[in-house]
Amino acid sequence: MDRRTVLKGLAGASGLALTGGLSAPAIAQGAAARTLRFVPQANLANFDPIWGTQYVVRNAAALVWDTLYGVDSSLVPQRQMVESEEVTDDGMTWTFKLRSGLKFHDGTPVLSKDVVASLNRWAARDPMGLMLKAIQQELTAVDDRTFKWVLKQPFPKMLYALGKNNSPVAFIMPERIAQTDPFKQITDYVGSGPMKFATGEWVPGAKAVFEKFADYVPRQEKVSWLAGGKQILVDRIEWIVMPDPATAAAALQNGEIDWWENPIADLVPVLKKNKNISVDIGDPLGNIGSFRMNFLYPPFNDVRARRAVLMALSQEDYMRALVGDDETLWKPLPSYFTPGTPLYTETGGEILKGKRDIDAAKKLLAESGYSGQPVTCLVAQDQPITKAFGDVTADLLKKLGMNVDFVATDWGTVGSRRAQKTPPGQGGWNMFHTWHAGADCINPAPYTAIRANGDKAWFGWPTSANTEKEVTAWFDAKNLDEEKAAVSRLNKAAFEDVVYAPTGFFLSYTAWRKNVSGITKGPLPFFWGVSKTA
Amino acid sequence: MLSYILRRVVATLPVMAIVALFVFSLLYIAPGDPAVVIAGDQASPEDVERIRQSLGLDRPFLIQFGSWVWRILHGDLGTSIFTNLPVSTMIGQRLGPTLSLMVITLLLTIVVAVPLGVVAAWKAGSLIDRAIMGFAVFGFSLPVFVVGYVLAYVFALELEWLPVQGYTPLTDGFWPWLQNLILPAIALGCVYIALVARITRAAMLEVLQQDYIRTAKAKGMGQSGILFIHALKNAAVPIVTVIGLGIALLIGGAVVTESVFAIPGLGRLTIDAILRRDYPVIQGIVLLFSFVYVLVNLMIDVIYTLVDPRIRY
Repeated sequence: MDRRTVLKGLAGASGLALTGGLSAPAIAQGAAARTLRFVPQANLANFDPIWGTQYVVRNAAALVWDTLYGVDSSLVPQRQMVESEEVTDDGMTWTFKLRSGLKFHDGTPVLSKDVVASLNRWAARDPMGLMLKAIQQELTAVDDRTFKWVLKQPFPKMLYALGKNNSPVAFIMPERIAQTDPFKQITDYVGSGPMKFATGEWVPGAKAVFEKFADYVPRQEKVSWLAGGKQILVDRIEWIVMPDPATAAAALQNGEIDWWENPIADLVPVLKKNKNISVDIGDPLGNIGSFRMNFLYPPFNDVRARRAVLMALSQEDYMRALVGDDETLWKPLPSYFTPGTPLYTETGGEILKGKRDIDAAKKLLAESGYSGQPVTCLVAQDQPITKAFGDVTADLLKKLGMNVDFVATDWGTVGSRRAQKTPPGQGGWNMFHTWHAGADCINPAPYTAIRANGDKAWFGWPTSANTEKEVTAWFDAKNLDEEKAAVSRLNKAAFEDVVYAPTGFFLSYTAWRKNVSGITKGPLPFFWGVSKTA
Repeated sequence: MLSYILRRVVATLPVMAIVALFVFSLLYIAPGDPAVVIAGDQASPEDVERIRQSLGLDRPFLIQFGSWVWRILHGDLGTSIFTNLPVSTMIGQRLGPTLSLMVITLLLTIVVAVPLGVVAAWKAGSLIDRAIMGFAVFGFSLPVFVVGYVLAYVFALELEWLPVQGYTPLTDGFWPWLQNLILPAIALGCVYIALVARITRAAMLEVLQQDYIRTAKAKGMGQSGILFIHALKNAAVPIVTVIGLGIALLIGGAVVTESVFAIPGLGRLTIDAILRRDYPVIQGIVLLFSFVYVLVNLMIDVIYTLVDPRIRY
């Protein structure tokens, strides 16, 4: 073996590795205008919208799988794959008929048996689905286009359950796929929606590609969010994952991408200055910031301690720490519900209004018996939202004279530690920070965080009998007035028991190149009606 | 030589076994739970537990480790918890961009750093030497992401010469492939160039003091011949060593560089896997990196014999 042999061998090996099996299809110049390049909010790490309920999976799945119903921008469920429905007078038997001509991406027709299998899988994971299963007598296919859901008691929110946009969404898949255990991931992505998933081009963490499904039959109605005619005006949509916001901003300015779902507030001024870029609020339903207190251990097992924190809490401090001086991006929220939606109420939210009274809060805290024990406060530093909130909370607790055990960690660790019910000093916790999509806080159905049924409740395990009573009242409500009344009482009860602490309502921007048109505001990025010129 | 290489390859096995045990144990005791990430923010504790069971994460340490080792021995790195894709497929998808970045960075380093080091040694103590060494200190001190942002701003946004981000496979053409790698390679190469230039200078300074260099000068040999034929060849051993060991520096730097320039390589895969606690992927990548590092060390030893005939195994 001599030097030349070694060098030749190395060069050959490098060349082979660089060229082998790594190719992606090149896009011809003319096709570029038919390809929309989109930077999503997060990495599409898996593609099963029932198994994994992250928003990014839901957003991608909305392209590939259609739904029986879809909520429109008024939050009203409208028919989508369904042509008609009938419900008996007792409200216990629902009969649905599918539209004709519906096809899956493999060319096979969408049949009732596919729907039944899809609903069974969805119902095993979705809170509303679980409620339906609990009162289900039978869910059966009557014929190829008709299926029937027979219940033991009325369920007035049936159409909302089937059309809601909250994860997990009741997407319709072929029976063979939908028969997968809901706690195991699917491996076949044949869909029923307007775009096909290009499985061969999927590089998790980097890229996902969707191609127009020529045989999709859109509805004739005008499109509105998940309802109406989902007309796809491009041939191909590429989701390009960019972990670094500065890179995404530069790529948008340079025309290397067309649409960036959620630019961070710090970079928005730069984007606004660029004459080729449009910037606007992306999701009008925004987000509700929060921190949750652990009901199982002192000091927050005493409602007076929880109220003391709320009395001293300044939502403005939290919001300014997060979004800076942009007044359009936040508003105070003396409520647990999303502002601007039909059920929004401020009943009971007085505790968050007006001048903050630290002295009164201190007094109440002392009455609760707090005597300086450490308060374990979990703060994920890798999430800008929780990082900002955590810093403000630490300051707030110190003002109240509390002994803060500030646990700076990452989101993954917070995710597992918050599930621990052990005492704070033994791996448990007293409080952690998070936020909720406004779309999940429009009513009690998808709103896991508002539930206060103790052991079965979300992390922090709040107990509030009155809150739970009003959740049930909302589900039983027959009309909007009854719903409003129930939610008003619910809001009051939740504040009385301090189910959690809302830190304010905040919005975020979306940004796109001006050669792209048709982008609409909504709780997820809607690609129907979006077109692009060269 | 061949028997030496074989012995060294066999000796990598216990090293890999220790790395495997170490990585698996570390991940097992690390906080975090992939089932929580999969289930999403709204999932109930029962849902999380069901997912944990379906992934086999509720099994005892020894059983999990045993089944992982058994799969490794059968050439199976396992399946990603999140994507459900084989880890080998995921690594294969990401190998090209990272390898491309490393090859270009390596070439850039050799082409720039070695001549710089040689010139600095030749002009030791002069303004040129100080300028080069000043550049080396500067390059070594600047974080990769700062260099990356500055380069992207100047050459992509302002001058519009090169793209900001992305990767194009070599099969799509040499220039499309190269233009995506130029800025990342410069950003990643800065530290490496600085390091190699300094070592080259130091090694050359020592060699240039030797008697045979004086003899070559006395015989009337040209300056370039003395520097690049006689001196550089004899100074090559420490330079090759640093270039080889610097591969580890490149692997670490690639993590940041790939994020800044949105290159879908192994560095980003590593970060994503760690943040999501995708254990099989982390284990697969660490094993791969360890293997590469061991292999690079072996290559350095082999290259020694090519640059210095006195070294024999």
